[in-house]
Amino acid sequence: MDNLVAEGLGKCYILSRDSEGKSARSFWRRLRSPLGDSESTSKTRDFWALRDVSFRVEPGTILGVIGPNGAGKTTLLKVLARVITPTTGRVVGVGRVVSLLELGAGFDPDLPAHDNILMNAAILGIPRAEAQRRIKDILEFAEVEQFVGSPLRHYSSGMYLRLAFSVAIHMNPQILLADEILAVGDQAFQERCLAKVAELGQQGLTVLFVSHDMDAIMRICNRVMWLHQGAVRRLGDPEEVVDEYQNAIWSQADIAQSERGRRSNRLAEILNVRLMSSGGRDIGGAPISEDVYIKTRFRTVKANMTVKCALDLSTKGQLIFRTADTEARPLPEAGVYEALAKIPRDLLAELPYIATVSCIFKREGEAKEYPLVVYNALQFLVYGTETPDSLPGSGRLDRVGFIAPRLEWTVRQEAYAAGA
Amino acid sequence: MLLALRRWLGLSASRAGAGVVEDAILDRKAQKWVIEPARVGLIARAEELWRYRRILWFFASRRIKERYEDKTLGKFWLFFQPLAPIFISTMIFGSMLQVPSDGVPYFLFFLAGMSCWRIFERGVIRVTRSLDQNRALIKKVYFPRLIAPISSVAPSLSEFGVLFTLLVLTCIYYFVKDGVFYLRVGPQLLVGVLAVVLAAFLSISVGLWTTVMQTRHKDVQFSIRYFMQLWHYVTPVIFPLSELLKLLPPQLHFIAYLNPMSPVVEMYKWGVLGIGHVSAVSVITGLAMMLAIFSGGVVYFNRSEAASVDRL
Repeated sequence: MDNLVAEGLGKCYILSRDSEGKSARSFWRRLRSPLGDSESTSKTRDFWALRDVSFRVEPGTILGVIGPNGAGKTTLLKVLARVITPTTGRVVGVGRVVSLLELGAGFDPDLPAHDNILMNAAILGIPRAEAQRRIKDILEFAEVEQFVGSPLRHYSSGMYLRLAFSVAIHMNPQILLADEILAVGDQAFQERCLAKVAELGQQGLTVLFVSHDMDAIMRICNRVMWLHQGAVRRLGDPEEVVDEYQNAIWSQADIAQSERGRRSNRLAEILNVRLMSSGGRDIGGAPISEDVYIKTRFRTVKANMTVKCALDLSTKGQLIFRTADTEARPLPEAGVYEALAKIPRDLLAELPYIATVSCIFKREGEAKEYPLVVYNALQFLVYGTETPDSLPGSGRLDRVGFIAPRLEWTVRQEAYAAGA
Repeated sequence: MLLALRRWLGLSASRAGAGVVEDAILDRKAQKWVIEPARVGLIARAEELWRYRRILWFFASRRIKERYEDKTLGKFWLFFQPLAPIFISTMIFGSMLQVPSDGVPYFLFFLAGMSCWRIFERGVIRVTRSLDQNRALIKKVYFPRLIAPISSVAPSLSEFGVLFTLLVLTCIYYFVKDGVFYLRVGPQLLVGVLAVVLAAFLSISVGLWTTVMQTRHKDVQFSIRYFMQLWHYVTPVIFPLSELLKLLPPQLHFIAYLNPMSPVVEMYKWGVLGIGHVSAVSVITGLAMMLAIFSGGVVYFNRSEAASVDRL
């Protein structure tokens, strides 16, 4: 039996020219002609943030919702959370709905964690005594026990998110709406979130999971819905939908215009730079213990060319290293190519990195070089998947340095000492 | 209604102690819900409000607490804020202008009128801000939006508590000084209580209109202050009603009669001090006005709720 059914859901916003009729002039105009002569008053434009979205979800389904920014993912979740009212269609659901919209649930930043938990419980109809009992578990899972007394506005965004997630899953939801819970902070906690969501899904919780992290989507979702301009473009098996989505995205050049550098010349054009897992998926962050690839896609317009790619990696405003391909690679015919630079595991530290990519093109038999460069083409975060207990100082905060390579260590007794 | 009843039963049972089991039952009997574009009817709204009544208390206490939390002087503000304007106004109107005061000391007269009036005045201003103020929550989780305006009158009632205490203390002072105890102790005091309830009720009624307008035109939160000041002068707070009628030109007398706050303040003064002019006509007109403003306000709020949230 389905526990969440949406039929023909649509949400229309009316955008009017003069900023929602707020200006004094339009106010007077409306006062003078209250019945609205359509000529002067209704310079409005309909914007459908959602149109004709239908789906059915069974208990235990983790439905990934993907799509480019502005595709209506958040609007859909807000409609399901009853924060906004749909213009068309209807939703029928069974059971308690808990939502994690944008950053965090509905928290009052001036209240301490304790009061916020009680308020959220009250909003969800959970008895006070029951909520009191769960507070300890909630704080423990969120790792914010020391900060119970301070108002949430003093929390870091990571702490805020952890608390929000922890509150949500401890409220015994039947349906969890999670919007971009992976967008902020602490990767180790995000791993725990994903694991927890997957676990609850097995126990029959229905989850709508919005994310741009295709790796996370692939790992925990058993169905994926791809929204495009407010409508469902594809709905089905994660593997197929994600593949199709990524192909669609990658087929367009999408390095923003504002980025510095020169990304096209008369021979070639750099289309985009992405971080890719060894499984070939588009990812937003790199697990420390896995090899990842920086993939530069470019298009050439002439045959018989060669390319030599290089990469600058920097963090905290410091250039960490520059590395280049050892040889020029042949590009026999015009077309789209991808250059992969493998970043071995256990090399980078748990930091955000920025990559600058450059490619030098040459026509065969010519000496002239045609360089392209994209500054800050890619930003990504490296995160640890194991608890870091093996380091000097042992705490996460004690980690310093721009890279954290794993070296080979040997400890042995010196030969002469052994003999003595 | 059934839903509310079931919730209520589940709620009280778990209070008895069998928490975990109760919770499982609550979850098992998970209700089916429907989201539709059609507006929810008023009766359904009222039922929903009843189901969510616990957050009403939560919001109300929140609104009171935020008035002194994190302030250097702490709870001092709870007392100072309502008292300061009273002392200032008494000095101006009582000592300097020599306004008549229905035979009781002017300070007492003014304090009685003001304590009732301020419930309304501050209430309207707070209710007007309520949707804006709770924006963070309203945009993230669902609860009946009516809770925001309704709970916002709580601080006005706490202020009233402070002013009423001062009123009692003043009565004791005059008893010691002049040997007359002005405060009425007896069943008439209930009329005073009724007046307090009506003042709070009216402030919500008016606020339902203004808070929706506030989401559309941010100007409302400024203009409402001046509007309330004007309203203040056509309500018998500074002068007795008789003086007010003398001051107003005859063609404007209808304002004094239609003003629903005027019988409320008079009822309060009659109930508490035994002064003022309560006539059946004015009370009935006042109640009729109130009901009209309230029912119109609820319908208006309900109709514009979705659009207001979109605009927040």
